[in-house]
Amino acid sequence: MKQTAPVISRGRSQGAGLDLALPYLLLAPSVLITFIVLVYPLWDGLKASTKFYRYGKPLREVGLDNYLRLWSDSQFLNSLLVTVSFVGLAVAIETLLGLALALFCQREFRGIRLLRTVLIVPMVITPVVVAIVFRLIYASDAGMLTTLSELAGGGPAQILGHPTRAFIGLVVLDVWEWTPLMFLILLAGLQSLPSEPFEAARVDGAGPWRIFRDHTLPMLGPVLAIAIVLRTIDAFGTFDQVFVLTRGGPGEATRLLSVFGYDTAFKFQQTGYAAALFVTMGLMILALALAAVRLLRREDVA
Amino acid sequence: MNDRLLNRRLSRRTVLQGGASLAASAAVLSGLGKPASAQTGGKVIIGAFVDGGLAPFKNSIIPLAKSEGNFDVEFLEDEYGVTLEKWFADAQSGAGQYDIYLLDDPWVPQFGAADVLEDLGAGGIAGGDSDWIASMIDMGYWPPREGPRVKGFEGAEPKLIAVPFVGDLQTLTYRNDVHTNGAPKTWDELIEKGKEGVAAGKIKYPIVFRGVAGNPIVTSWYPVFLSFGGQFFDDKWNVTFNSDAGKAAADFFVGPMKQSAPEGVVEFDSDQEGAAILGGDAGAIIQYSGNALKADDPAQTKVAGKLDFGVVPKKEKAIAQMGIFIASVPKSAPNKSNAIAFLNWYTSPATQAKLAEAGSIPVKRSGFGVEKPGNRLIPVALQQLDAGCLPRPRTPDWAKVEELLGIELNKALQAGSGGGAALDAAAQQVTDYLKQAGYYQ
Repeated sequence: MKQTAPVISRGRSQGAGLDLALPYLLLAPSVLITFIVLVYPLWDGLKASTKFYRYGKPLREVGLDNYLRLWSDSQFLNSLLVTVSFVGLAVAIETLLGLALALFCQREFRGIRLLRTVLIVPMVITPVVVAIVFRLIYASDAGMLTTLSELAGGGPAQILGHPTRAFIGLVVLDVWEWTPLMFLILLAGLQSLPSEPFEAARVDGAGPWRIFRDHTLPMLGPVLAIAIVLRTIDAFGTFDQVFVLTRGGPGEATRLLSVFGYDTAFKFQQTGYAAALFVTMGLMILALALAAVRLLRREDVA
Repeated sequence: MNDRLLNRRLSRRTVLQGGASLAASAAVLSGLGKPASAQTGGKVIIGAFVDGGLAPFKNSIIPLAKSEGNFDVEFLEDEYGVTLEKWFADAQSGAGQYDIYLLDDPWVPQFGAADVLEDLGAGGIAGGDSDWIASMIDMGYWPPREGPRVKGFEGAEPKLIAVPFVGDLQTLTYRNDVHTNGAPKTWDELIEKGKEGVAAGKIKYPIVFRGVAGNPIVTSWYPVFLSFGGQFFDDKWNVTFNSDAGKAAADFFVGPMKQSAPEGVVEFDSDQEGAAILGGDAGAIIQYSGNALKADDPAQTKVAGKLDFGVVPKKEKAIAQMGIFIASVPKSAPNKSNAIAFLNWYTSPATQAKLAEAGSIPVKRSGFGVEKPGNRLIPVALQQLDAGCLPRPRTPDWAKVEELLGIELNKALQAGSGGGAALDAAAQQVTDYLKQAGYYQ
């Protein structure tokens, strides 16, 4: 006994050590991958944003100069304005349409499953393909709209060569592609709501509009907020569609921050300045997300 | 800067003489046995952007490289709009995905300043060979041998970091049933005769060009600008494109030229302008060889036999933009020695002659001397070289300059007026940009 006791104790202490280390060992691969693909690039980007680059190489430290320069750069300010307008308009339309479709498809009737499936198809098509298709629709020389216009006795459809129309054309593309996402999230939200309050309201004689205003909308609020935040963050990063459809033109009418940043970083090799731009853009999105989370918490408390 | 380059004209006689003597030398060499470069071979990965101007190389020279030079060529193509950034990232990171980049010549300074390309002169390619077309081989040196240099490279020894690959330059393509007296000599004549063609129902528009902001619109405007006597920068990089001549060219471009072009020209890029001329809608176009090479192929044009080539119209001069495909070897190339051997083989007089016979504009004088050039465009390209053609300014910041100018020109084109004001706005932006980049310190 005297001989075995220390062995057991040693075994226990070894086991306890392993027990202590095991969670960290299991977490290690994830932490390592996160560090490699997220933390290090972010840190490297932050460092780059404080340097002046020429010919793709850092020449000197400039502190916050790149960040300050952004706010006197008319191209950046224009891109910011275009991006905010694009995101605001597209997300607003997508939310309204998505909600309307979700309310419609919430009901059960013949063919509803097929309709729900069809409605989410645009979302699963590759964005670049969608942009190419819309380019074929909008092109003034041989586009579908031009063909239709000429059949009706009109001239070529001028969409991509006109600043306002090109911007609206881009919004239409985004709405076509991403309304299904809003629809899907909101439909799931609607289907998760309890039925009792709605039944009680109907028994009390409330009409559809009253039920929607006083019950559906408040109860759907958190889901709606999450959907809007997710879509807003995603829309801020829109790149492929505009790159293929307009490349930011005509002029700078559709040049989103993502396209301006891409050109600055890769075409003009102003790496530090582009890094400052993307960090600023990231901070804006972060602020938006934090504001939304705060709003949700306030609603939860209420 | 411009005058010096303009004075380096080639006469047909010198080209033919040079061609004949070099062809004779090549024949003697081939009689002695295989050329030295033909004894090498191996894998070569070539990156290129999609362009019709490379069709003869792809269709005729790559198979020849296999059979004659024993080179195993892997030809990787990408869209023009993404190649610059993709290759720069490849070169800078040392990823080594390519052995040769077929650059657009204005990109050479950007790669040169970043010091990511091999010194081909040290690698054994003779930049001093008098068979090169001087204005083309000049584009392969960084820093440039002539003209202003950017800060940091004032005293550096020029190195040959790229060699001309396909000698492209702008020429006029016109409808011979509209311009019945031959190529229009002036811009006014081009538009006037074009309008008559429209009235006669032969064409829909007197001219077509590219109006998309950035490189496309600046490229289309460039020959107008040069022919009006414009100059981009002075010898100290001060902006001079908004001179009176430049403004007159811009006003003409966004005014009378736009009115003579398709309604949607603001959004036109290569595909649309190509479709307009090859589809029979446009009466004339200033273009590089990509679409011009399709002019006689009934499978690619509705107006085969009705398209002829000429020197670009003039105002004061008839000057075109020269924009060649130029080959470079990144320092990270996995098959560096094969790549240099390939370029030596490719730029030999014998291969250049085969390139010309296949229909491409050669980069060596001897190539112009072939008995049967593969395309009617080749002798016209020689006429344009005679008349005058200029490369774009040799600065690593050309892409940004082109972007700033292109946006303002595109806005004026939408409006259909205000070309001069657009140049003033662009000049201010370019000056601000170059100032922060250290050009004027």
